Amino acid sequence: MKEKLKAFIFSELIYHEDPAAFGDGDDLLEAGLDSMGIMRLIMFAEKEFGVTLPDTEIEPDNVQSLNALENWIKQAPQNL
Amino acid sequence: MLLDGFLQQCRQQPGGVALAENARQLSYAELLSRAQAVAAALQAHGVQPGQPVAIHLDRGVDAVIAVFGALLAGACYVPLDLKNPSSRLVFIVSDAQVKAVLGLGDVPIWLDAELWLNIADSPRIQPKPVATSLTGLAAILYTSGSTGRPRGVALSHAAIAAFAGWAAGLLALTPQDRIASSAPLFFDLSTFDLYAVLGAGASLHFLPAKLALAPARLSAWLGEQAISGWYTVPSLLAFLAYKGNLAQTPLESLRFLIFAGEVFPTSALIDLADVLPNTALYNFFGPTETNVCCYWLVRREQLQADQNIPIGQPAAGCELHIDAESGELWVRGSTVASGYWRKGRLASLLNEQGWYATGDRVSIDRGEYRFHGRLGRMLKCSGYRVEPAEIEAVVNAIDGVRECAVLGVDDPTAGQRPALFMVLEPEMELTEIRKVLSRQLPPYMQPSRYQVTAALHRLPNGKLDYQQLKELLEI
Repeated sequence: MKEKLKAFIFSELIYHEDPAAFGDGDDLLEAGLDSMGIMRLIMFAEKEFGVTLPDTEIEPDNVQSLNALENWIKQAPQNL
Repeated sequence: MLLDGFLQQCRQQPGGVALAENARQLSYAELLSRAQAVAAALQAHGVQPGQPVAIHLDRGVDAVIAVFGALLAGACYVPLDLKNPSSRLVFIVSDAQVKAVLGLGDVPIWLDAELWLNIADSPRIQPKPVATSLTGLAAILYTSGSTGRPRGVALSHAAIAAFAGWAAGLLALTPQDRIASSAPLFFDLSTFDLYAVLGAGASLHFLPAKLALAPARLSAWLGEQAISGWYTVPSLLAFLAYKGNLAQTPLESLRFLIFAGEVFPTSALIDLADVLPNTALYNFFGPTETNVCCYWLVRREQLQADQNIPIGQPAAGCELHIDAESGELWVRGSTVASGYWRKGRLASLLNEQGWYATGDRVSIDRGEYRFHGRLGRMLKCSGYRVEPAEIEAVVNAIDGVRECAVLGVDDPTAGQRPALFMVLEPEMELTEIRKVLSRQLPPYMQPSRYQVTAALHRLPNGKLDYQQLKELLEI
């Protein structure tokens, strides 16, 4: 899941000099992920992983890093 | 002058809340007294009426104090985007020929220390009165320039006041209004917050920065603060409509929302209109050079997901004209900028017939104008204007680049993003280019695609064949 998220983020949302060097715990918000990026990331994740990410859980803490994103998406309710 | 409305409110309701930022509040009288101190400090620094002063502060209470201080000293303000790389800020400060830079704390390392004025150090004294003419400049807003360098749009007191007065009337602003503010000062949206809102005696509430990343808390904040109006960008409103928990968050005080800066995807606007049935929605349109020249009050029954919304009818008494040959929108009227500011001088932005030619392609249908994209090369990336020439100039300056071309790629949320085509010397590495650009260009100008090619195809007249490059992108 992390690989898919990472590929999407660095090809579609934020520019990074060297995505391969970007660690799973590194700060995505500092790297330039903004509100528009988060919105697209959520659209992507909901579709790709078949989950619903609740409105009230969209918080900087949950999108701060690839690790945080994976933990958050894994505990989200699966669409039936 | 531009602050006349605000000054009148200071006399009428000195104790009324003017600004609120987190727990910090400033009354009209307090804001005036702080701004007067800044004006006096600028005068002591030797700043003369009409001279430009840069604002090195993020949006918020302190930035408003600095801007109003500059205006009370008769100066015109140049807001800086602190996210810009220092090379770009150095250029702007030098091109504008600012006589002082207002900020807080230590001098930025890229700046000549003699220009720096820490507003916290301004003693509370009255400035000497200055006469400000309506045709005098109030603000210079730097945007991306087609000449390859940032370009300052110079706005007079009269031009901003014409827009602010019109908008305050349209929205029927009163001292009871509580308006949310999220626009950075270097975007023309901020002139509504500063002059329409504070000229009407309403209070301005700064949206806490991190809330843009947490849409449910954002809508909760709008409710708790009893916000009655907000002028912002479509992308944030689309996020709010999509994940803002609005079904569970009634925003009963919210009278109006205004959006501008990019095209609002109609399907997202339909969602927003559905969850906010009692809020009036306005589409404002106009390049920085005209502030706002067109507006449309959203008619919900007219919204169709597969059709872009109109930009509507002339705003603020602007006269609009569509050039028959190109379909380009021409504007003239009281909100149009005085010119471009170049090395301390004004250069006209009007064409031979006395109009400002916007570069926007429009049509008119039953009295309503519609926008069909840009005629020139300008891109709109995350709401920012980006001239490909500005990116090309930076790339071409790198040793090892033979030639390059930048064009836009459509992006579902950013609007457009730049794509960069390059012909490189054999020893040149792409990573080197990326490194230079990340240092010299702001984030929204970073290309989202890089393509190294053997040659750039040219048309028989010697011009680059952008159409062929566009086709390459679609492969």
